[in-house]
Amino acid sequence: MSDMTTMNCNVDELIAVLMSREIEDFETVACGTISMLPASAILLAEATHAPNIDIIIRGSEAYGQDIGRDMHFIAQRGKMDMFFLSAVQFDSGGNFNLHVLGDPDAPDRRFPGGYGSGMLAYTAKKVMFFRSEHSTRVFVPKADFVSGALKTGNEVSRPNQTFFCFTPKAILRWDTARERWALRSYHPGESPETVQESTGFPLLIPADVVETPPPTEEELQTLRTTVKELMIESDTYANWATTAFLPA
Amino acid sequence: MGVPYVPVRGLAGTDILARRTDMLIAHNPFNADEKDVVARAINPDVAICHAIKADKSGNSIFRRGGDELLVAQASDKVIVTAEEIVGEVTAADPDGQFISSLNVTAVVHAPHGAHPAGVPGKYEMDRGHINEYIEAARSAEGFRAYLEKYVYDKTEADYQSLVGIPAQEVAVVA
Repeated sequence: MSDMTTMNCNVDELIAVLMSREIEDFETVACGTISMLPASAILLAEATHAPNIDIIIRGSEAYGQDIGRDMHFIAQRGKMDMFFLSAVQFDSGGNFNLHVLGDPDAPDRRFPGGYGSGMLAYTAKKVMFFRSEHSTRVFVPKADFVSGALKTGNEVSRPNQTFFCFTPKAILRWDTARERWALRSYHPGESPETVQESTGFPLLIPADVVETPPPTEEELQTLRTTVKELMIESDTYANWATTAFLPA
Repeated sequence: MGVPYVPVRGLAGTDILARRTDMLIAHNPFNADEKDVVARAINPDVAICHAIKADKSGNSIFRRGGDELLVAQASDKVIVTAEEIVGEVTAADPDGQFISSLNVTAVVHAPHGAHPAGVPGKYEMDRGHINEYIEAARSAEGFRAYLEKYVYDKTEADYQSLVGIPAQEVAVVA
């Protein structure tokens, strides 16, 4: 169990802060609809170390840029530096499922991901996966449905890409050369062993794996004040922003 | 649009690609080293698109940022339903996306025709009705009851009266 008391934040704040650190200034950074954590991560990066990023938050009037299918072509021509995706399952072979659980012809559960994830995961230079649960039902040997594949060999032309996955326990990194998920860092209160126990397939665990540097006081304060106010004022997941963060 | 297929970077190795017959992986004909997914075009027989306004020839204005132009360009027949029929609509109109009458087969005057969605500058989305539909659509019985209430054996005038819109005349004009 990640030690939220020591880190002085909640899980949403932790994931938002960790994702915001991956954003570099002057990048084009986008997320889809129903993307509260990415939206807060993007706005936190803009408010701190990346003031000149181009932001696309679908569904937000203030940050949506009203670009419609233009977003498709921005990604197609390789101009999307970063995109955020969640998934209901991630598997050992680098597949993710944002589509259905169970038999695809008679699914137990349906999820919203159809086409967009299967395009953006192949075109964005950095793909930030995130999931608010780290368990063996999320990280599975084989996904029920493949909405996107990180490993495509030379089946199609594809840029060099970086894939991370942010969870309440760890940050994982897709090792492209070895075609495996690797542990990049484990959060305070966790260990490589506890992360592995909650993952339904063997992770690559580098000998020099480190603990995740916890959110700083400045990051958390900015998230709880500037970013929260910005989200409420601009009606970017305003209801969510009202209750998601701990008091400043 | 109206083209035979469109190349798409992405989708390789997915069950979406595996389960569909209208997408496959092909060499770029101009670059033997490049392979991409190609998707067969969808060419609807008929498209029905709701305009903010139209003239009798079919020149029409749609909300910005929508896909109506793409749909119109891909379809064999295009029926424009319009909130308002006006004297003449041109590409210089500032109110939204222009679609030329060259793409349009017929125009229907259909005030409040977007309900329960909205029309920019005319009326807002009817969230109450959309929520009613979402609730109804949770079960087969609920969905059937919704159709009985609003759709089966109902005219457009019946529907508009049921959802609280004042009576309007609806007429095919071109």
